[in-house]
Amino acid sequence: MARLPDGRALPGKLFIVEGIDGSGKSTQLDLLRKWLIGQGYCVAFSEWNSSPLVKATTKKGKKKQMLTPASFSLIHAADMADRLERQILPALRAGAIVLADRYIYTAFGRDVARGVPPNWVRKVYSFAVEPTVAFYFRVPLEESLRRILGGRPKLKYYEAGLDIGLSDDPYESFSLFQGRILDEYDKMVDEFGLTEIDATLPLVKQQEMVRELIAPLLSGALRVEPSAWREVLAKESVYGRYLDEVLPERSTP
Amino acid sequence: MTHIRFYGEGLPEFTRTKPLPGRLIVLEGTDGVGRSTQIALLREWVESKGYAVQSTGLKRSAVAGSGIKDAMRGHTLGILTANLFYATDMVDRLEKIILPALRAGFVVLTDRYIYSIVARALVRGVDPGWIRNVFGFALVPDAVFYLHADLPHLIPRVLNARGFDYWESGMDFLPNRDYYEAFVEYQSRLLAQFEALVEEYDFHRIDATQSIREVFQSLTVEIDQVLADMKPISPAEAERELSEALAESKSGRVK
Repeated sequence: MARLPDGRALPGKLFIVEGIDGSGKSTQLDLLRKWLIGQGYCVAFSEWNSSPLVKATTKKGKKKQMLTPASFSLIHAADMADRLERQILPALRAGAIVLADRYIYTAFGRDVARGVPPNWVRKVYSFAVEPTVAFYFRVPLEESLRRILGGRPKLKYYEAGLDIGLSDDPYESFSLFQGRILDEYDKMVDEFGLTEIDATLPLVKQQEMVRELIAPLLSGALRVEPSAWREVLAKESVYGRYLDEVLPERSTP
Repeated sequence: MTHIRFYGEGLPEFTRTKPLPGRLIVLEGTDGVGRSTQIALLREWVESKGYAVQSTGLKRSAVAGSGIKDAMRGHTLGILTANLFYATDMVDRLEKIILPALRAGFVVLTDRYIYSIVARALVRGVDPGWIRNVFGFALVPDAVFYLHADLPHLIPRVLNARGFDYWESGMDFLPNRDYYEAFVEYQSRLLAQFEALVEEYDFHRIDATQSIREVFQSLTVEIDQVLADMKPISPAEAERELSEALAESKSGRVK
C-alpha cells in the first residue's frame, strides 16, 4: 500500500529502487517495468532529477558548480516535489503502479554525506508518499567502484563529491563519497524498513526475488485495456515497429 | 551587529558564532505596497551615511532566479515545488550574497525575505510545520519592516503598475475565475496571514498608506537605530572586505 504522509492509503502501488551508483538498480527496475507491462498493468515511471520544470536549474547549477550542500538539497527536493505533485500522486490516486528510480532515500544519503542535518532533510521530504516497497540494492563498496571506475570514466564534479573537498583526486573523492553514502543507506535499512536485495547475485536471480516480493501486492492495481487499435490493425495484417510510438505500450499477445 | 541566530537548524556546517559586523534589514509587505521604491530610496540614504550597501530580493539568485520565472510562466507550478524552488533561491542568496556582505560589514537591504514565501504557502494550505522547517536555514535579521496598506490603497497601485498577475491573484488555487475578485480574495487572505506572523517574526509595522516621503521618513527613523553603533566604512575597504568574504564562500561553504 502506498500511503500519504497523513497515513491515508492510496489505491495505487509505489515501488522504488535505491542503491549507490553501480548497484544495478536501474537495470532491475527496467526489467520489472517490462514484466508488469507484459502482465497488462498500467505502469508509470519516474526518474530522479527529471522534472521538466526544475531540471534545467539543477543542470545549470551543477555545470557551473554553483551548488552548495544546502542548495543542492533544496533543488533536488523541488524536483521531487514537482514529479510527486504532477506525475506520481495522480497515477497513484488512479490506482496505477508507479516505479521510481531513486526516491527520497537518495537525498537522505547524498545530502547527509554532504553535511546536511539528517533531521532537516527528512522533514523537507515529509510531503513524500510512503512507498509500497522500497528496494535497496546493496553492493559492497569495492564491487560498485569496480563496476563504475573499471572503464576509467570522466567523473562529474558533484557525482564525485568534489564539492565537499574530501580529496582533489576525482577517483579518490568518488570512492570516499560513495563510502559515506553507503554508510547512510545501511543506517536507513532499519529506519525506513527498506527491503534489501543482494546486488552481487546474478541479475536474473535478483529479478526473481523482486517479482516474488511484489506479486502478492498487485491485486487491485489498475490494468490497461488491451489496445483495440492494435488488434484491429493486426486483423488487417498491419504491423509496424513505429506503431509502438503511437499506440499504448503492451506486450504482444 | 548581526547575531548568528537561525529560525531553525541553520545552514549545513555553518560554525561561526561570532556576530557579523553588517546589518540585515528586511522590507516585507504584500504586492503593490511600495517596497522596491523604498529600497531604492533607502539604498541611497544609507550610502550617504557612509555605509556600504548590498541589496537583494526574491528570484535574484544566480542559480534559481531564471528557473523560477520560467517555471511560473507555464502556470503549472505546484505549491510544494514553488516553495522548494524559492527556498533554493533564498539559500543561494543567503550563502553567496547576504552572508558574505554581512561578514564584510555591509548593510544588506532585502526586498522580501522568507515571510512572503511563508505567508503565500500558508494561505494555500501548506503544512505550517513543514514550511518553517524548510526555511530553518534562514538567518534572523536585525530588523523586519512590514509595510502595511489595506486593499483600497493597494488595488489602484497594482492596476497602475502592471495589472493583476496570475500568481498575485491566487489564480493557481482559488475557485474565482475573475481576476479582480480573485485578487481581492487572495490579497485579503495574505494580509490576514501577515498579521498572524507579526509577533512570531517580530515585524515593525510601517503604515504604507502614507505618502512615499512619509513612509521613507518613518523607515529612516527606525533604521537609524539599527545602524546606531555601526562604524562607517570607506568604499575601498568595503570592496576589499567583500572580496575576502567572497573568496571564502567560493568554496561553496560559508563557515
